[in-house]
Amino acid sequence: MYSKITTGALIGIHAIPVTVEADIAAGLPAFSMVGSPGSEVRESRDRVWAALKNVGLPMPASHITINLSPADVRKEGTSYDLPIAISILQAMELLTPEETKDKLFVGELGLSGEIKPVRGVLPIVQSAREYGIKECVVPLENAPEGSVVPDVVTRGASDIMSLYNYLKGEHGVSLPVFHTDTDKLLSESKDRVTFDFSEVSGQEDAKRAALISAAGFHSLLLTGPPGAGKTMISKRIPGIMPGMSIDECLEVTAVHSVAGMLPPGKALITSRTFQNPHHTLSKAAMMGGGSKPHPGAVSLAHRSVLFLDELPEFQRDIIDSLRQPLEEHRINIQRAAYSAEYPADFLLVCAMNPCPCGYYPDRNKCTCTEPMIRKYRGKVSGPILDRIDLCVQLNAVKISDIKQSRTGSGIGSLELRKKVERARKMQEERYKGTGIRFNSDLNSSETEKYCRLGEPESEFMSDIYEKLSLSARAYHRIIRVSRTIADLDGCAEISIPHLAEAASYRPSDDYWRR
Amino acid sequence: MIKNSFDPVRVSENDRPYAYAVCSCIRAQAGRVFALLGHFGSYKGILYAPEKEISAISGNKELAADIKSIGSKDPLKEYETLVNKRIRLILHGDDDYPGKLLTIPDPPPALFVKGRMPDKETMSVAVIGARECSEYGAHIARALGEALGREKINLISGMARGIDGISQEAALTAGGYSAGILGCGVDICYPSGNRKLYEALIEKGALISTYAPGTEARSILFPPRNRIVSGMADAVVVIEARQRSGTLITVDMALEQGRDVYAVPGRITDRTSDGCNGLLGQGAQVFLSPEIFIREITEHRLGVSNARTAKRRRKFEGSEEALPNLSPEAMHIYSLLDHSPRSVEDIAAMAGREYTVSTVRLLLMQIVINGYAGQISPGVYIKV
Repeated sequence: MYSKITTGALIGIHAIPVTVEADIAAGLPAFSMVGSPGSEVRESRDRVWAALKNVGLPMPASHITINLSPADVRKEGTSYDLPIAISILQAMELLTPEETKDKLFVGELGLSGEIKPVRGVLPIVQSAREYGIKECVVPLENAPEGSVVPDVVTRGASDIMSLYNYLKGEHGVSLPVFHTDTDKLLSESKDRVTFDFSEVSGQEDAKRAALISAAGFHSLLLTGPPGAGKTMISKRIPGIMPGMSIDECLEVTAVHSVAGMLPPGKALITSRTFQNPHHTLSKAAMMGGGSKPHPGAVSLAHRSVLFLDELPEFQRDIIDSLRQPLEEHRINIQRAAYSAEYPADFLLVCAMNPCPCGYYPDRNKCTCTEPMIRKYRGKVSGPILDRIDLCVQLNAVKISDIKQSRTGSGIGSLELRKKVERARKMQEERYKGTGIRFNSDLNSSETEKYCRLGEPESEFMSDIYEKLSLSARAYHRIIRVSRTIADLDGCAEISIPHLAEAASYRPSDDYWRR
Repeated sequence: MIKNSFDPVRVSENDRPYAYAVCSCIRAQAGRVFALLGHFGSYKGILYAPEKEISAISGNKELAADIKSIGSKDPLKEYETLVNKRIRLILHGDDDYPGKLLTIPDPPPALFVKGRMPDKETMSVAVIGARECSEYGAHIARALGEALGREKINLISGMARGIDGISQEAALTAGGYSAGILGCGVDICYPSGNRKLYEALIEKGALISTYAPGTEARSILFPPRNRIVSGMADAVVVIEARQRSGTLITVDMALEQGRDVYAVPGRITDRTSDGCNGLLGQGAQVFLSPEIFIREITEHRLGVSNARTAKRRRKFEGSEEALPNLSPEAMHIYSLLDHSPRSVEDIAAMAGREYTVSTVRLLLMQIVINGYAGQISPGVYIKV
């Protein structure tokens, strides 16, 4: 009385198939589980026992052994309940091997036998397809996300009894098969914008910076008094980034699925997200990790915007650790118990007040002392400032601006997105086959190669270099930003106006001096 | 009995260590010290007099206790350390003692000095103002400091953050002399952010304090030092002050000492100029430009009548400002800049519809490169 059932284990945002083996032998009643089960997996013994009893399929009073193989991969989460239950039913000879052949099961069980949603269904179904499995039985709530994977039948099950009847081929019993037309989903979301830039009154300067930021994936810092609209503008940046490709959608959905952050019933995340973590978050919440592998805010912001409001309030070491994902576009988490890798390719947008009260340099309102202001700015980690390409100051909103927005002027997000898409297209063509995606990806030698300056332009840059007392790093940064501005203008060559505008987004190093 | 002015009494070389000991006490004010000196004849006499007697004559019990506790140390040894630290002790009655301080009520019995004392023949101007100054105030402080430095007029100030430090730095850079009057010992750099200025003052000017070396800065020590700032000057210029500020306390002392007070006018919407505008309303002299100010105080010293100054002032036609050599578009943007900070957003809004923010940023950059504007924080510009 031995059985084999297939399920999946998560590794990062990917999955590998796991075989659940059950054996029922004569002997003293016992239920033992081997094969590196985590604590949640260990608990499944009690849930499975009660669930099977309550649906009228009680487990025999025998020696039951469960093995999860490969045994050297640590199993975490609650998704093993259902495959364990099915493997026991098969070992009890209530199900035949033919009835579960080429099927994969995931799900958590309630004591009544109901099947509850779990994390990471999308990557598990994706891996099932790779390994030639024909059918996946997943919790009903998770069925939509599984159904985006082609060539695999995804069925949603709500309780173990109906699943049992379906597997037995009882007449008239079927589990719903889910289909998702991903092309349709993508085209539907194409021209949809949740937050529109036309709702932002005034702040043309900040909007321009947001446009450049989205076009070249340049990190952005907004400063300004409270209520100026720093958050409002940041929230609208995902909406002007180009629409996501199906591969991007699948990656982003997988991260959210693994994090358990996918809204119930949602099949696919088709629009760019906006991650706005509070400054009190822990390092594990930002970078991912914890006692069990879990993607953090940097991964949830994958292919989109990571917005850090009140930048000086964040713990310094958390901000400093953003360096790896900013450079490698992914995050490696190494713990004693596991190691995991999550994607983390985000656009960094930060906001801060210019001083503790927020009104500097308006000395009518601001009475902060010079040391207070320096100390406040000094809290921002230097290495991160080094990686910020664009810096703008927002004004307090004037009443005339508010009135103007009511009459509905101002450029809209869709129009801005078209400009961004054009600029991205130019970058795509320029960097074809090099692995570089955006101007902001260029390192200094690549900058020299792809952003060659003419005679007057390089003279202008040496002028700026002296006048603004730039560092070599800042020098290349300005050239990269000017490349994006030229792309927005549709220009093949960088000219002086592009350089001048790019340079004006960098505060002199003096500003950050502590 | 505390008198209002005191005849300078020369202190003998032997008595100086004891004078140092007595004057090290923070409560050793002029009236008390001179009363004691009159009674006991020498500082040595004061130091070793019975506590009760000191208390009765000076009218201050704490001072008596302070003197007694300091008297328990070896005054000669302490004095030697002072000399080794290259700090000079200038006593009321010494040749180096600033003549102007002799005329103020309550002149300090002793000054501690690092650097060289101002030349007695040269005119001195005190520059005072807010620590949290605006860019406008900083600009005027710089311009005035420069002008005074160029004209070799001594600049007296408090080496504080803001107006004080900015004007002193400018004066030294322009090759002038400046004295910083401290509210702590001259061996202590307060505020610590002014370390560079502190060292420059020792080298090219002076640090002066009425407090003994080693005295830490405390808020109660500052108002008394302000009277030395105004006391050492012929005229006092107030650059920026909020209503009810420490700067206005200095002005009160300057008026008490009979110094000319000049105030730099500001916009009535600027809270940082409320103090100055208020002073002008009360009849302070108006500061129109560094050049006009210097001409006025020089004429005043030469005995030109106030009436003539007033008449010329009525005819004042504004200060000349050299126009930068820029393209017409850049000139347009330049005309929108001010000595108070303006953001790109503001400038773009004022520039008119045909100027996009990216054009404005381009033109601003040209102006910055040509040295006519500066960026004080991201996207915020001022005229230079």
